[in-house]
Parts: sequence; structure tokens; C-alpha cells
Amino acid sequence: METKNSESEYSTEHNENVSHLEESDDEMTAERALQALENAWLNEKFSPELLPHQLELVECMLEQISHMEENLKKLEKGDIRLNIHTMEINRIRFIISSYLRKRLDKIEEYAIYFLSEDANRSSEEAFMTPAETHFAREYVSSVESLFTTLALQHMPRRIKDFELNAMSSKPNLNKHVFIRANKATDGILIPGNMNEQDFKEDSQHIIQYAAIAHLVKNGHVQLI
Amino acid sequence: MFGKEAIKLIHELDQCEEIKPFNEAIFQQVLEEINSLYEQNSKDVSTITETNTAPRNSVIVRHFAMNRNKRCLLTYLYHRLRRLRQIRWELGSILPSEITANLVSAESHWFQAYSKSLATYMRSIGEDGLNIMNDVHPPKSLYIEVRCVQDYGKFEFDDGQIVNLKENTYHLLPRSQCEALIRQGVLEHVSS
Amino acid sequence: MDPSEVEFLGEKQLVSIVPNFSFGIIHLISGSVGPFRAGLPVKVPIWLAISLKQQQKCRIIAQEWMDIEKLNDSIEAEKRSKLFTKMPSNHFMDEAQMLLMVAPDDIPDADNIRTAVKDIWDLRMSKLRSSVIGFVKNAGTYAKLDHLTAMEINSIRSLLPDALDIMLHMEHGGKPTVLQSLNTTM
Repeated sequence: METKNSESEYSTEHNENVSHLEESDDEMTAERALQALENAWLNEKFSPELLPHQLELVECMLEQISHMEENLKKLEKGDIRLNIHTMEINRIRFIISSYLRKRLDKIEEYAIYFLSEDANRSSEEAFMTPAETHFAREYVSSVESLFTTLALQHMPRRIKDFELNAMSSKPNLNKHVFIRANKATDGILIPGNMNEQDFKEDSQHIIQYAAIAHLVKNGHVQLI
Repeated sequence: MFGKEAIKLIHELDQCEEIKPFNEAIFQQVLEEINSLYEQNSKDVSTITETNTAPRNSVIVRHFAMNRNKRCLLTYLYHRLRRLRQIRWELGSILPSEITANLVSAESHWFQAYSKSLATYMRSIGEDGLNIMNDVHPPKSLYIEVRCVQDYGKFEFDDGQIVNLKENTYHLLPRSQCEALIRQGVLEHVSS
Repeated sequence: MDPSEVEFLGEKQLVSIVPNFSFGIIHLISGSVGPFRAGLPVKVPIWLAISLKQQQKCRIIAQEWMDIEKLNDSIEAEKRSKLFTKMPSNHFMDEAQMLLMVAPDDIPDADNIRTAVKDIWDLRMSKLRSSVIGFVKNAGTYAKLDHLTAMEINSIRSLLPDALDIMLHMEHGGKPTVLQSLNTTM
């Protein structure tokens, strides 16, 4: 993902009238990347399942932050921009951290299940990042080793195994969630009564997650 | 009655949210119960014949009792582990001694392994890693007023300022770096 | 979600300020702000307005809807309507609270505005409570929530979805549930 660097004004040859790079369609502006990350954060916060990772967005925003921090070093003490940029950096870092924490939270709770789901996906389509997958594996094996040391190894042979299936729990996709329709979408099947509902753009609803999970993933619906 | 001891472990979890001393005595008793149930079953199973089916019912009951005991033991371990994990998220990688005192060594090992995994994960984020245990609350303003609750000594902040954190002194400090100290109980947020 | 997080989202809304300094365009990651000309109004995100205000670098201009007559009209409309009326901002409650807190001296009629906002909030919360009770009693599982603001949705988050989840669980999910006729008021 290409991001535009909007910080040219802080280069050593300071120029008030630096014009920005031309916007093009395949290029994502930092502004749009940030909005996309914020949406991903809220979706992750409210969805019962783990959503496909947004590693690119996270890395893009972290790059923006470190780039900005570099630029701030060039500013003199007392420059009005110092505080303003630092505040914004803190806001973005909060979103990133909160987003990644929420994912780890779910990964720990459903580690075995997510690992088995991702095992059926190609590495490009995996929902967890490589680092998250690694973390999930280590987590499961650390739990197994604690269980074995303290309990399982002292049990009779027939029941001493760490049974992955028995330990694995699945997220409840029938949970009710609040949503806003980003786009008009027709024919949403309401679970239970099989009636159809049409979502107007910007309309808000409470509905079972399972009915709109696919719309969260394709961006037609935002969890709120 | 089978399973009577095991349920005590679950009650213990229910009674308080803290990590109590590992209940070695009951934990051992339950393990012994499991093993004796198993032995009795092994004996009885061999006596079952086509004409003598009576022991079958006791075998089934013992089997369920055994599994229930196992489930209680693992639940006990798992919930203690989750509490430890919570402490890692809230207090960081150094366990307070009053908690360490209540752990058995396998639990301490788990905590270290977990901390290590978490650190590995956090190092992987972006170019230079990111401590996602900071920034717990939405940022409000850059500086917050804090009161020092205990003597801590000198602390150097990212912007280079060195502050002597003495008990009962008030400071206006960068919020980002105060969070950890607040969680450790060194500082206290003074709300205006 | 913690109310402070709803506020965090509300802080992205724009508000006009009158800076007492001049400065060129500032290129934030989230978009550019400025240029700032001393004495001339300029729109900035609320988080920035609050910070500049705290540093005494600007005064804040009340949002257009922070006007006692407009708010009183809203109160009347809210009373007349069975449904929720459209609010001037998805974050009207938290925006009002933040701006009145940091800049009561800049906002004309601040006390009355605070009271009017509180009245609207109370009216809508009681409407919301009775809708939720009706919805749950009718074993609803889907509802439209148009015109509910972010803080209002958040206020029922800890209760409503969980209650519905539990009811669904008790029903074993197999049986069809009645579509809410009430959904339009939710």
C-alpha cells in the first residue's frame, strides 16, 4: 500500500507553498488509511469473531507515526505544531493498540478454533497475521504444558491427553450487534423469521451478527 | 460422594477474584480420587460377562465422575491462568511478590512463557515494535496531573526532563509515560 | 465501550474556532487544518479546539445547533414524535458536554444550552427505555435504530444485546421469532 507523505513542509528547505503529490486512485492517502483503520478497530471491537487482519493498515499508520516523529525532531521547542502532531500521534497509537489488544483477546479465547480455521486458508487469506498465528500457537502450547505438568500427567493413561476438541470453544455468531449501513443493501435475511429487510444507506439497526457477517467483511456494513 | 472435593475448587474460584494460594491439598485429593476410580473400573471391567452385567452401571458412573473431576481440575488451572494473564496486561511482566507467593512453580513458568510470547509479538509490530499495553485509555490531553503515592526516585521522561518522584508531590507529566507508573501504583491521576 | 471512547470518536467532529495566532496549513495525518489567521474563524477537529483553548490560543464558536431557540424546537419535536427525531449531530450529547466544559465563557447562553441538551437527552432516554422494554417483551430479534446517536446506542449496549442473546439461547434458536412491529420506534 502506497501512502502519500504529507510532511514535505518540514524538510530542511522549508517552503510554505509546497504543493502535495497528485492524488491518484490506486494510492491510498494517509487520511483514508486512518479512517479505514478506525473502522477496522470498531468492527473488531464489536464483532464476536476474529475479522481478517489489517496488517497493511497498521504498518502504514505506524510508518506515518514514525515519519512524523522524525519530522518533529526538526522543529524548535515551542513550535505550535509540536503539541498538535503529538496529540494526533497519541490518538492514532491508541486506535492501533486498542485494535491489536482486542484481537489478541479474542485469539487467546478461541486460539484452537482460529488456528484450525486458518489452517484451511491460504497464507494470503489467513485471518491472523504470521505474528498472531505464532502467538496463538505458543499460547495453546503453554496452556497444554501447564495442564500436563500439574494435572494430566498424573492421571490414568486413558484420560491424560490434552484434547484439543474438548478445549476448543467457538465464538457465538448469533450475538446481537449494532450496525450502520455504509451502502444501501437489499434482502438481508433476518434469522429466526426468515423475513427480508432492506438497509438504506446510513440506516442503523440491531441484528444478529451472523446475518450481516459477510457485509462487515466487504465493508457494506459498519459495526457501531 | 464422587466429585465433592473437586467442586470445592470451583467454589474457591467463585468466592474471590484474586489468585488464592494454590490449593495443593484438594487438588491432590481429586487426582487420587480419579486414579482410584480408574483402578476400580479396571477391576470391574474384567468381571463383566454376558451373564454378569451388573458392574457395568458402576463403571459408567465412575467414568462420569472421573471426567467431571478432570474437568474441575482443568477449570481450576485455567481460571487461575486467566487471572495471571490479566495481571500481565494490567501490571506488566514483573509479578508482585504477594501473587508469586500463591503460585506453584508451573504457574510461574507459565507466566514467564506468556510474557515472553507477548514480548515477541509486540516486537513484531511495525518497524520498531509497539507496546500495545500502553495507550489503554483514549488520549485526552498530553499532560496530566499526577500525585506521587510512594517514593520512586528519579524518572527520566522521553522529552528529557528528569523528575524526582517523591511521595506526596504533584507533577504535570506526559500522559503516555505515566500510565505504567499509575498501574504500578507509584502515581495517582489527580482528576480536575 | 467506555463512554470515553464514544467521546474520543466525537472529538473528530469539526468546530469553528477563532485563533489568536497566525500560522500556515498544518498537515495532520488525518487531514490538513488551517491556515490560521488571528481573529478569523477556521474549522478544526474538536480535540484540537480543546487543546488550543486550554493553551489559551483560541476561542471556540458554538456549534450552529447550540442555540437555545433551535434546541427548544428540538425538545418540542421530540415530545410530539413517537419516533426518535434526527439530532443535529451523531455526537450531540458528548460534543455539547465537551465544548461547554472547556469553553463555557465562549458559548453564549451556556447554562441554558446545557439544560436544554440535558432535557433532550432525558426525553430520548426515557423513550429509549420504553422501546427497549417493549422490544424485549415482544421477543424481538431485529430492530431499526434510526436517529439514535452514538452515546445513546452505547448506553444500551451493555444491556440490550446481552438480553437478546440470552433470550435467543433459551429459545434454542430453532423457533421463528416474530418480527418487531415496534422496530420503527427503536
